[in-house]
Amino acid sequence: MTLNITNVAVLVVLGLFATGFYGLLAVRNLIKVVVALQILVKGAMVALVAAGNLTGQLQAAQSMALTVIVADTIVAVVALALAVQVRRCIGTLDIKALTSLKR
Amino acid sequence: MAATLLILSIAIPWFGALVVWLAGDARPRLQHGLAVAFSVLAGAVAVALLPFSSSQILLSIPVGGAFGDFTFAADGLGVFLAVVATVVGSLAVIFSVGYMRGEQQLGRYYALVLFFIGAMVGLVLTTNLLLIFFFWEITALCSYALISFYNDDPKAVAGGIKALIITQLGGVGLLLGALMIFSYTGSFDLRDFIAQAGNIPQTALAVMAFGFLAAAAAKSAQFPFQTWLPDAMEAPTPISALIHAATMVNAGVYLLVRFYPAFAEVPGWRTAVMLVGMLSALLTAIMAMVATDLKRALAYSTVSQLGYMVYAVGAGGLFASQFHLMSHSVFKALLFLSAGAVIHGVGTRDMRLMGGLGQKMPFTRAVFVIGALALAGLPILNGFWSKELVLEAGLVGGPLWMWVVMLVGAGLTACYTFRMVWMVFYGQPRAKLHAHEAGAAMKTALAPLAAGTLLTWLLAGPFSKLLESTLPLHALESHSTLHYLEEVALAPATLIAMVVIALGLAAWWQRARLQGLVNALSGVARAAADSFGFEAINRGIVRATQNSAENLRVTQTGLVSWNIFGIMAGLVLVLVILLLGA
Amino acid sequence: MWHVLASLGILVCAIQAIRSQRLLMSALWLAGTSALVSLLLYLLGAPEVAVIELSVGAGLVTVLFVFAINIAGEEAIHLRSPLPRVLTWVTVIAATVLVGWMVFPGMAMPASVPVAEPSFTTTLWVDRRVDVLLQVVLIFSGVLGVLGLLSEGRAGAQKESRQ
Repeated sequence: MTLNITNVAVLVVLGLFATGFYGLLAVRNLIKVVVALQILVKGAMVALVAAGNLTGQLQAAQSMALTVIVADTIVAVVALALAVQVRRCIGTLDIKALTSLKR
Repeated sequence: MAATLLILSIAIPWFGALVVWLAGDARPRLQHGLAVAFSVLAGAVAVALLPFSSSQILLSIPVGGAFGDFTFAADGLGVFLAVVATVVGSLAVIFSVGYMRGEQQLGRYYALVLFFIGAMVGLVLTTNLLLIFFFWEITALCSYALISFYNDDPKAVAGGIKALIITQLGGVGLLLGALMIFSYTGSFDLRDFIAQAGNIPQTALAVMAFGFLAAAAAKSAQFPFQTWLPDAMEAPTPISALIHAATMVNAGVYLLVRFYPAFAEVPGWRTAVMLVGMLSALLTAIMAMVATDLKRALAYSTVSQLGYMVYAVGAGGLFASQFHLMSHSVFKALLFLSAGAVIHGVGTRDMRLMGGLGQKMPFTRAVFVIGALALAGLPILNGFWSKELVLEAGLVGGPLWMWVVMLVGAGLTACYTFRMVWMVFYGQPRAKLHAHEAGAAMKTALAPLAAGTLLTWLLAGPFSKLLESTLPLHALESHSTLHYLEEVALAPATLIAMVVIALGLAAWWQRARLQGLVNALSGVARAAADSFGFEAINRGIVRATQNSAENLRVTQTGLVSWNIFGIMAGLVLVLVILLLGA
Repeated sequence: MWHVLASLGILVCAIQAIRSQRLLMSALWLAGTSALVSLLLYLLGAPEVAVIELSVGAGLVTVLFVFAINIAGEEAIHLRSPLPRVLTWVTVIAATVLVGWMVFPGMAMPASVPVAEPSFTTTLWVDRRVDVLLQVVLIFSGVLGVLGLLSEGRAGAQKESRQ
């Protein structure tokens, strides 16, 4: 397997996925959960553009990647606002404290 | 035009639900007014849809390939039930103005009632299986929420949960049948299914047919699920009249009638349907004989009359079944609403404490007696004609012994009806009760229903004309009113039925002389008061459901990490399936 | 050669973003990831998206993170995840390996003939009009969501002060 750019990009995608998955599962700080989510989504974005590069449909891939960026940013904004509110109401960012609905 | 009316008949109640809810509980007068306005408007729209009834698809909303088009058809069967739902619904709402005066949380009450009316109209007008399931579950949800309306009363909450779980159990049958239909016909349109039913393997068709029968039995509180309906009587009485007598419980009968052409040829299905109807009719008639709670007695009689309709469907008498449904909706709504007026007036539901209320509530007594005579099947009220048609259909399409059992049921019906009327309105007052006559809003709702009970049998001809435009393959012929009247009046079976009903009346009249017989049957009475043991079965189902839910709570940790783990496990599973498939 | 360096940088930054104990460092490592991802996107032949990723991903989102951390406060949580460690690793490895397994056979396929594509502007505004509409709706709902969240906080504060 040569180290051409699409192969490397796919390896990066896998690496970002693995990091993001691990972060989502193992992290307990709410803001860091958002960080992990961002990393995961960046992987998806690179995957889209790499696929566009491979099939020669870069413009379609670019417009989809743009949608991903917009959605991802909105997710980050809302999630961070939620995290701030959680901190205000519960006093901690620990997700283990977020189980008050389960009684 | 017609398509607009169709959309409006669903949209108006739903929009009304939103408006009434948003109006806020601080303004009860506004809420009463808005609810009445929206429900009456919905009734008017549904009646306006009547002339447009046809077996063609009226409206088709493309929603992508996954679930087929969302199709609606204003066919005779659907329009008829939509009119019943909206008209009886608007009368129940008008009655509520008097009945619910001064209650808390009217917004929740009216919003759910209007939400229910819209869903019921949607259920009977759509031809898309997914939408049928969708609306079916909404009606179950509204029924549950309204039974438990007094949510600080543990009995009401338990009744609501029971109704929800039992009807959901039936809903699983509907879902199973619908999914199988989709996998065999590749279409969500029930017209495609009915047309192609002959090409489907017999065993698969049988599974669908019995799945739908289970759904219908659960929804219509038929044997062996009949015990949720009496417990549903904890709801406010207008709800009992609307949902648990006139509309939602008819959904099961509707389902059977709708799919009858597809399932009629399944071996044993028609017999099973008749058997379910017969057992429900007989067992609950006996239970109604010993009930002491006015609303429970009426609930038993509802199950019993629904049993007659189901029996008629099984015997192939679709017209008779729907005609009885129409009569029953009118006179049972009347009975429930006037019972509501009694309960509102005296403040108890126990018939043993009532008695002699007739002098204090003459109007209520008059309309209740009209309804009771129709329930007993005395000529010339609407219940007489439709019940005779049902019995005749049973004689033609079913075995003789079932017909005899149904006749006995008719006699029992007459007997318990008179017991009820006597205990409530006649005789000596048994307890000091401060009764007051129904208010203006209640009378406004009761009068049209009483008039309907006296007169709807004249609509037999137009009604059969309407049903002629039901979806193709139903092959319903239309006749004039006169034809039906002649058919009923001249049949020897009618005479026999009248004799049996008279015997039932006589049995009540001479109850003192029959004391020996009553004592001999006291074992039966005890069993009947205990629902013949079916109460235990139903309670077992409810408890098993609740226990399993309680045990499954462990899986809901509330921790984000575990939820993400669930998502990831799902991803891995999907990837493995994809790899294996590729 | 640049793409290999950029890729290594991306992975290092991403891992550091998760490993770092301080939230602020985490956000900065994320910004680094984002910047290097935009470089990789440029090298892959997607300059427009690369620019947007650089300004939005590395710029705006980082500002938001710093802002949020500023309000919520730095809080280092060293405790272990509620999930067993073995389960975490098994899931992560299984998912990644499976995705790789599915992706790599596709990589070997012969490079398809480059399709004569319209420019990015045309693709975005004409062919993918629905996407753009969706994005506008998304942005609006996001803004409304944040406003709702913040105003709820204010209403709560008012209620508290009244009590």
